[in-house]
Amino acid sequence: MASIRDYHRPGSVDEALALLNRSGMTSVLLGGGTTVVAEPGTQPVEVIDLQALPLGGLVADGPAVRIGATNRLQDVVDAEMVPELIRTAAKREAPNTIRNAATIGGAVAGSNWESGLLAALLVHAAHVELMSASGTATVSLPALLADRSQLTGCIITAVVVATGGRSGWAGTGRTPADTPIVAAYARRHEGATLLALTGVADVPLLIEPGDVGGLEPPGDFRGSAEYRKALATTLSSRVLVSLGVDG
Amino acid sequence: MKIELTLNGVRRILECEPHESLRVVLRREGMFSVRFGSETGETGAAAVLLDGRLVSAEIMLAAQADGHAVDTIEGLSPPLGLHPLQRAFVVTGAIQSGYSTPAMILAAKALLERDPDPTEDEIRDVFSGILDRETGYVRPVEAVLRAAAELRGDRPPPVEPALVAPLTLTEDGDDGGDRLELPRVAPRVVPSPEVPETKVVGKPETKVDALKLAKGKPAFVDDIELRGMLYAKMLYSPHAHARIVSIDDSKARALPGVHAVLHHRNVARVRYASGGQSFPNPLPYDQVSFDNKVRHVGDRVAVVAAESEEIAEAAVRLIDVEYEVLPAVFDENEAISGHAPVIHDEDGMEGAHDPSRNIVHHIDAEVGDVEAGFDQADRVFEQTFRVHQVQQCPIEPHIAIAWLDSDERLVIRTSTQVPFHVRRMVAPLLGMPVKNIRIIKPRIGGGFGAKQEMLIEDVVGHLAIATGRPVRLALNREEEFVSSRTRHPQTVTYKTGVTNEGVLVSQSMRVVGNTGAYGTHALTVQMVSGLRGLTSYNCPNKRFDCDVAYTNIPVPGAYRGYGAPQALFALESHMDDIAAELGMDELAFKERNWTGVGDPLDIATKLGEGAADMDVIPVITSSGLKECVAQGKRAAGWLRRYDPDWRMPADRPHIRRGIGFAMCMHGSAIPGLDMGAASIKINDDGSFNLLMGATDLGTGADTILGQIAAEVLGVPLDDIVVYAADTDMTPFDVGAYASSTTYVSGMAVKKAAEEVHKLIAERAAIMLDAESPGEIELADQRAWSADGRSVTLAEVALHSLHQDQQHQIMGTASYVAPDSPPPYAAQFAEIEVDIETGQVTVLSLIMAVDCGVPINPVTSAGQVEGGMVQALGYGHCEEMAYDEAGRMVNPKFGPYWIYRADEMPHIEAYLVQTMEKSGPFGAKAIAEIPKDGVAPAIRNAIANATGARLNAIPFTPERVWRELHGV
Repeated sequence: MASIRDYHRPGSVDEALALLNRSGMTSVLLGGGTTVVAEPGTQPVEVIDLQALPLGGLVADGPAVRIGATNRLQDVVDAEMVPELIRTAAKREAPNTIRNAATIGGAVAGSNWESGLLAALLVHAAHVELMSASGTATVSLPALLADRSQLTGCIITAVVVATGGRSGWAGTGRTPADTPIVAAYARRHEGATLLALTGVADVPLLIEPGDVGGLEPPGDFRGSAEYRKALATTLSSRVLVSLGVDG
Repeated sequence: MKIELTLNGVRRILECEPHESLRVVLRREGMFSVRFGSETGETGAAAVLLDGRLVSAEIMLAAQADGHAVDTIEGLSPPLGLHPLQRAFVVTGAIQSGYSTPAMILAAKALLERDPDPTEDEIRDVFSGILDRETGYVRPVEAVLRAAAELRGDRPPPVEPALVAPLTLTEDGDDGGDRLELPRVAPRVVPSPEVPETKVVGKPETKVDALKLAKGKPAFVDDIELRGMLYAKMLYSPHAHARIVSIDDSKARALPGVHAVLHHRNVARVRYASGGQSFPNPLPYDQVSFDNKVRHVGDRVAVVAAESEEIAEAAVRLIDVEYEVLPAVFDENEAISGHAPVIHDEDGMEGAHDPSRNIVHHIDAEVGDVEAGFDQADRVFEQTFRVHQVQQCPIEPHIAIAWLDSDERLVIRTSTQVPFHVRRMVAPLLGMPVKNIRIIKPRIGGGFGAKQEMLIEDVVGHLAIATGRPVRLALNREEEFVSSRTRHPQTVTYKTGVTNEGVLVSQSMRVVGNTGAYGTHALTVQMVSGLRGLTSYNCPNKRFDCDVAYTNIPVPGAYRGYGAPQALFALESHMDDIAAELGMDELAFKERNWTGVGDPLDIATKLGEGAADMDVIPVITSSGLKECVAQGKRAAGWLRRYDPDWRMPADRPHIRRGIGFAMCMHGSAIPGLDMGAASIKINDDGSFNLLMGATDLGTGADTILGQIAAEVLGVPLDDIVVYAADTDMTPFDVGAYASSTTYVSGMAVKKAAEEVHKLIAERAAIMLDAESPGEIELADQRAWSADGRSVTLAEVALHSLHQDQQHQIMGTASYVAPDSPPPYAAQFAEIEVDIETGQVTVLSLIMAVDCGVPINPVTSAGQVEGGMVQALGYGHCEEMAYDEAGRMVNPKFGPYWIYRADEMPHIEAYLVQTMEKSGPFGAKAIAEIPKDGVAPAIRNAIANATGARLNAIPFTPERVWRELHGV
């Protein structure tokens, strides 16, 4: 933590953006801090704590729910208006102490390749609302994960997810609560099927079921590339079959 | 910067730096219950309530708490006495080391405020961020349920043993009938008619240290404040094998706030072995405080002492080291092949078997004629197994603080299992006589063998002497993984000859042990592997053949079980497979061969530890194994394993179920070597001080030793004030290892108490005008004459201390055990295997243990429950993984993974009494045997479920998948 040189708690998004876009200083946005504080880099940074910004709240809006970026993961778990798959994934994302601090905006910014929460958001057609000095923008989550440079100079203000449909997931880990080595999340809605996988690329992927076999995952000590590839096929098939889709 | 917060209900304005964590700032304010567990926050030892939500203060900036309410256990605790939650944790036995207990109680408080009647799942969820390496979470969960009931106005029943009728007293008693439904908090005790009635021993007394632990009071090494204290940080090797060509510390020394920089060029080169063992420490002496060569990633290079941790860290980064990187070897078989780089090529290397081939030790022991035995056998089976490297993971990492007292004696307050060994071993390294060194062991946040070392005490000693200031060195979690101690990996090959009827006739065990960069515990751990691996079953011809290899992995050492878990994984897997090949029932085959009362432990005389040579072959004097198996079979629902409908559930076609068994046998201390001593004196009010060198590392040792004293002296446990361990104040004890505390230190306490009993009787006989002291009995805090008259012990104390022929009633005794009677256990595991993915889910673990007479059934049950869960990690998920350069790739708890509260299998422990006459009140050891059987029981359950027989641990999904799918 020696690399954190200053702490700011702006009271407005504009103030936060001004701090974020200063020249000559590397600034890091702080949601719950569970990643930034736990794994600080070696470069000196100033942190911009978002807790005082009006970025909380959950709003149901027709076939969608808008989840404010500073909602903690536990807030997502507790919110009945949020689709069940996302609530389940949020609960699995981290233990209680972390869920009580980490935010959904932080989870999106973190883009963890093993994040089941991101996979659940993907199959719920998540869009991410961004605010920058030049205004607001909405980006689909797959597009954002594919090009994270879009986050530069921006603050995530909300994640909007589609509701409805049937959904499920399947994963394989060392133990029941372990972060799955590979997990498959799927949702079936109005005849369309969305499938997302974790642990097969550098970010969670929204993927066509027919393309799973063509994946070339990276390997690590928990699962080789060969094993992850096999898991992707098995788990995708399993979750799709559970939704009545030919796996 | 300034922050304003409400701390335990009081508005406070605090100074902090922007980078400081909330934990650091809270501890500076005296909130010592907020403890370090890992820099990445997974342990939850630093959990606090922020506006009523449980968060880790480790990974939250203090600045983030500005404007919020922060609650710690200090705010929950009444000035005297306990909150109902704290009381529930105490009476249920939910506290072992107590290091993370405050966090658990806070978590429970937050939950109960939201929901006064929570489900077990909800409780387990709030504990999911608090890792517990000790209890298996069983009793903490029960404590919350109990407290919730109490707070709702219910009156939960007292926590008492549930007596379970023996199943094997009659010929047809082993019926494997219906499973018992018993309260989980009640320790299940299977009584033996041989065990006499006692008043304090055998009772579920609460821990003597429970109050301070439940209230989060300053009790651990780090919980003191010393003026002018400096902070030390180590520079560790980034290379697995390298020579230090040059080291330039000038920039580090020039950094303001730096007081000392030590390394091989300015610290005396004194050879030693770091394992905390009796004098003379087993060879080789292959370490020095700082060397000009590094032998694993994480090896010591230099250390800095500075005004703050941040300055020390900055200074470490300023030390310029030029390395000549050397080839490295990590696999034990490759290391001794004759073609590997030589790891210890230094001059003066002595005590290693063949350093040029990286062979630290070669052990060869034989009973009978193994080759002839194979010739006589009807069938011969051979299998090779591989066991891997794991870390003990005490939630409190190693920490030591050293200072020079006003007499310029060196005081080291350290988290150690072996204070007396540390004092003796550190003295020559520091150039100080033993008499000028004092080691204080306060409460310890777990050790499990990792702290059976003189690991960092030399470093803080050197720095305190160099600077004249108090110096603190605390390892962070990554350092604990790579620079502390671990479990020895091994390659184990069994070859066994049997008759067609399933009788063992010959067995050889070949072990290649991997001791990493240094040989600490290399000899003795492997010896225990041979001992446990070749004495569990009778066999007339046995051979142990072992090479221990130096490699470039972080250093293995002592780890709870000490060579037995490795051996018993191989043995119990091998025996199951032989039974299958013979077409015999696994239990019947094992029972035909396992050792029992009267059987000799013949090879034990050839596998003594160090100086503990034995002339007489030890013979087993007690065994409850058959009863353990019967109880375990019933509890595990053993017969289901034969039902194909159960094994292949129709509604889940990719799932297979299985139940596995492993027999376990351990030891109780090292005979003829381990010594414990105790001293007891009476106080004016008839209470007693019990002073011991024995080391309670969270196991409840202080409590059970107090119970033994109380039983002899006829007083309640409350009247025994226990103090341990402090090398200036308490008698010698080898420390906490080798399952010796109950059996050896317990006998020392019993003997000391008997001496005090004798002196009290002499005094009481005078006061009561009795005919002989021999007629005086002690009970109910009084001394009684044969005719029923009595005086209180307070009256005896006042009489002896103040009134007549004044004399301090005091007894001191020591004890060395001539025997090491084995505890036995039956371990069962129920699992599911996903045959498509290889994922193994452990559903239940049942262990029935014969530990003689459990001195305290609650703490004994807690040892079994917690030990099983630690063993579960060993067999199922934990592993130290490395890249090709020898760098550990998962040195934090997320990727390393230890079991959380919200994913636990069902855990059940049975305590099967036997009367071991050589032990205190019939007791044998219990601490280590729970580590021995889980891995093979899971392995055998996987075989039952799928037919796959895995010969390596852990049973990770990919390993199982490859076995099932042949890829």
